[in-house]
Amino acid sequence: MSAFEKVTLPSLESLTVEITGPTTVVLKGTITCKDPAADLGPFVRAMHEAVIADRVGELRVDVSGLSFVNSSAIRLFIDWTSWIKAMPGKRYKLQFATTRRVTWQKTSFLALQSLAAEVISVEQVD
Amino acid sequence: MQLKPLATEPDPAQGPLVLMRFRPAWAYIDGIREFGRFFCKQTFGTEDLAQRATIVIQETLENAVKYSTQSPHSELELKIQVQGEHIEFSVSSLPDPAHIETLRDELVGLHSLDPEQAYLAAFVRASSQPDATARLGLARIRYEGNVELSLAEEAGGRIRITAVGKL
Repeated sequence: MSAFEKVTLPSLESLTVEITGPTTVVLKGTITCKDPAADLGPFVRAMHEAVIADRVGELRVDVSGLSFVNSSAIRLFIDWTSWIKAMPGKRYKLQFATTRRVTWQKTSFLALQSLAAEVISVEQVD
Repeated sequence: MQLKPLATEPDPAQGPLVLMRFRPAWAYIDGIREFGRFFCKQTFGTEDLAQRATIVIQETLENAVKYSTQSPHSELELKIQVQGEHIEFSVSSLPDPAHIETLRDELVGLHSLDPEQAYLAAFVRASSQPDATARLGLARIRYEGNVELSLAEEAGGRIRITAVGKL
C-alpha cells in the first residue's frame, strides 16, 4: 500500500473524503467550518507529504461532489499549490476534477490554475 | 411588521422579500445560506442565481460574525430585496470600530480592479502571505456572486454591506 493510501482521513461532519487509489482522492459535501486550516490543513499536508514519498507525478483530486466551500477552504487549495511550487527539484501535479454545474468550482479552480499553471490542471467531468 | 403573503412574481413595492435578524453565531450560517439558495431557486427559478446567493450570503455572514462585537445590540440583519431587474443582499452588523477602516480600505482596493482581476489578485496575495488571513471573501463575493459591493455606516456604530447584482 502506498503512503498516500495510508493517510488518515479527516473527520468533518459535512465532508466525505475517500482515497480511491494510489493517486486519487475524492471530496464530497461542503466545507464551511470556521477554521478549515485547523480542521483539514493537517490532512492536506499529509497528502502532500505522502505524494512526495510515493514519488507520484500527478494526483487527481475529484472535487466535483464538493457542492460548496467557504473562502477559508479555498485558501487550503492555494496553500497546497504553494507547497508544490516551493518544492525543490521535480514537482508533482494536481489535477482537479470539477463540474460545470457548480459555479464556484468553475471560477475558483480556474483562478487557482492561473496562479500555477505548471502544477495545476482542471478537468470538467460533466 | 406585517408581512404580506409572497407572490410567485416578486413585487418591488412589497419591500424586503426576506428580512432576518439573529444573533451573530457561526452555527446559523449554514442554515441561512441554504435557505437563501432555496428561496432564490424557488422565487426566481434560476440555479445560477441560487448559487450566487449562497456565495454572497456565506461570505457576508462569515465576515459579520467574525468581526461582531459582543454587545447585546450586535444582532445581525440579512435583507434580500428586488429593485427592478436587480437583486440586493444586505447584511447589517455591529463590528469592532477598528474593522470598519480595514473594510473600507479593502473595498477601495477591490474597486480599483475588475472583479476577475481582483479575485486573481486576492489569490496571489494569499499565496504570498501563507501565515496571514485569507482575505479572499469580498473579492469572491464580487466575482463569483456577480455583484457590486458597497459599505454604509449606520446609527449606533452599525454598518451595512450591500451586494447588488442582476437577477
